[in-house]
Amino acid sequence: MMKLADDPQVIAFRAEFAAFLDARLPAEAEARVRSRSSADVPDWARRWQRTLFEHGWLLPGQPPEYGGRDASLPQQLAHLEELAHRRIYHSFNPQGLGIIAASLLTFGSQEQKSRWAVPILRAELTAALGMSEPEAGSDLASLRTRAVLKEDPAGDFFLVDGQKIWTSGAHDADVLLAFVRTDPDAPRHRGISALLIPTDAEGVVRRPFGSIAAEDDLDFNEVFFTDVRVPRENLVGPLHEGWRVAHGSLGHERTLLWLSYAERLEDLVRDAADAGGDQEWYATLRMDLQALRLLGYRQLGPDRDPAEISVLKLLGSEAVQSAALHALEARGADALPHPAPTGPYHHMNNEAFVSSWFERYARSFAGTIAGGTSEIQRNIIAERLLGLPR
Amino acid sequence: MEFELDEEQRLLRRTVRETVAKVRGRPERQQWDTYLKLGWLEAPPLELALILEELGYAADPTPFLATATWFAPLAGRLPGGSGTAVFDGAGRYVLDADRADEVALLTPGGVAVVRGADLAAERVPVLDPQLHVAHVDAPGELVAGVPDLALVGLAATAVGACRRILDLVLAHVRQRVQFGKPLGSFQAVKHKAADMQVAIERARVLTHFAALTIAEDDSRRADAAHMAKAAAGECQRLVFRHGLQLFGAMGFTWENELQFHLKRAQACDLLLGAAPVHRKALLA
Repeated sequence: MMKLADDPQVIAFRAEFAAFLDARLPAEAEARVRSRSSADVPDWARRWQRTLFEHGWLLPGQPPEYGGRDASLPQQLAHLEELAHRRIYHSFNPQGLGIIAASLLTFGSQEQKSRWAVPILRAELTAALGMSEPEAGSDLASLRTRAVLKEDPAGDFFLVDGQKIWTSGAHDADVLLAFVRTDPDAPRHRGISALLIPTDAEGVVRRPFGSIAAEDDLDFNEVFFTDVRVPRENLVGPLHEGWRVAHGSLGHERTLLWLSYAERLEDLVRDAADAGGDQEWYATLRMDLQALRLLGYRQLGPDRDPAEISVLKLLGSEAVQSAALHALEARGADALPHPAPTGPYHHMNNEAFVSSWFERYARSFAGTIAGGTSEIQRNIIAERLLGLPR
Repeated sequence: MEFELDEEQRLLRRTVRETVAKVRGRPERQQWDTYLKLGWLEAPPLELALILEELGYAADPTPFLATATWFAPLAGRLPGGSGTAVFDGAGRYVLDADRADEVALLTPGGVAVVRGADLAAERVPVLDPQLHVAHVDAPGELVAGVPDLALVGLAATAVGACRRILDLVLAHVRQRVQFGKPLGSFQAVKHKAADMQVAIERARVLTHFAALTIAEDDSRRADAAHMAKAAAGECQRLVFRHGLQLFGAMGFTWENELQFHLKRAQACDLLLGAAPVHRKALLA
């Protein structure tokens, strides 16, 4: 069914959450303390996340015992939209929440849910995602970090050796969900397992390094594992079935991934309105934003091919980049100073570190590189949607 | 909002696709009669967009587009036979004006409908040999005013033509072997195909949305129609360029059917204002 109006249940849900936000939103003054990385949660944000959890507004798609209310996908979308309109996150540890806690709730044991997932949801623990390696980015199946299962009377454990990279927030995280090779002889996708690795375990070394935005903008990490002992009970899902965990945990995140591009694009459209000069690009931006939303809503329908997400990711990330570039150009040399004297910085902005148009453009490449580059998305569209040969 | 076609709309799309494939190549008159008999002219806006996309896919030669989306919204009714409309005082480049039974004219006093035979209409030769475009010598003073549906109709037709171009290209690059491999396995080719798909999907959802705003008489309908027309224009430009390029020399020939669809898509952009005109209208 195609209609402009929302379902009454979605309208009611949105209104209830909007009222909650209006009453409980953190004060601007307290929200002035910024997060250092995607796994660092300042005190006010910790309280904010816990408040959301306790009222069923953290991950509304989850059942009540895990901080949700069994919300439908359109309701979850309304939830994220209301947060975005106010330019605030539900959590400053989005991967911990949306990927790691969510996959523990799907694939984890009861013990893992209560020991790891709930504390992550309650912002008592933060988590980082160990996927990429120096030689395994988009080609995740070629990852090499090894975990050998050892039998021991005191309890079986994995011995982990290897390296991860681009691990966002690892230096501030309490635990990593790492994908490791447990069967070197199995076909590439088969021998991978998912392990929870506490960052204080002996043999774990984290080395944060700066992003293009600043030498001290530390979110990226290299993580080295040398003979790290990880108890067997930290295995998430069945042994050698990590590929399923990886896909399952990314699946949910990906359904609404487009929304983060729409948020950025909407911010850019709003913030760039006064850029002056030839503004025809601005019309294109508005069309990109509208098309992205419509494709996103369409994707909520039944029987959509998951590969269509690549259309949204490609369109969204490239639109954000082109928006930032146009906004930058429209300002000419005034776009050079950084941080901007009167930039679009907003202390409750999702873009925690954004302060100048130059930086916004530079950061827009995160969208066209992370989570599979635009080139990888084009390959997926061509091969899986259009049926071209590999 | 909900943005998924329902079962009935999907069924309609399937029926249109099958019917059009069946009557293709028959005399134009027979095709036209088939569409009339099935009641397609009376379809509401969203359904009309779906029908037009399929007609665009098939490079339909009948005066359906002008009748349903030019004449009908301006005259406020369907014509007895085929119809068209003059949207500006100059009466230039009017789709099907040389063969319409009735023509709607927007005058300072309201809409006047005249018999096509009473207008002096001169067909203009264009690159697309199947397209009927004419200059008309309209009587009296005319004012400008393009109905939203006329823009959406052209957008939907262009999207259909672009889908056809992409399908032809995909079939070509899957079977054509060069350097020992199918062309479609080369990444440079894949990336162009993917960009075409994204442009088509972007234009398509904006077209569906615009049709929906007309159906629900939503306040965004004018903006939505400009967006649809501009996006379809941008889409055809990319699809024309990549489509012809990927087909190589074969696409440059008269014998290859690719040319019909390229020209149809391009014409849909040029009529009633190309993409930049509608982008500017969005900023007004």
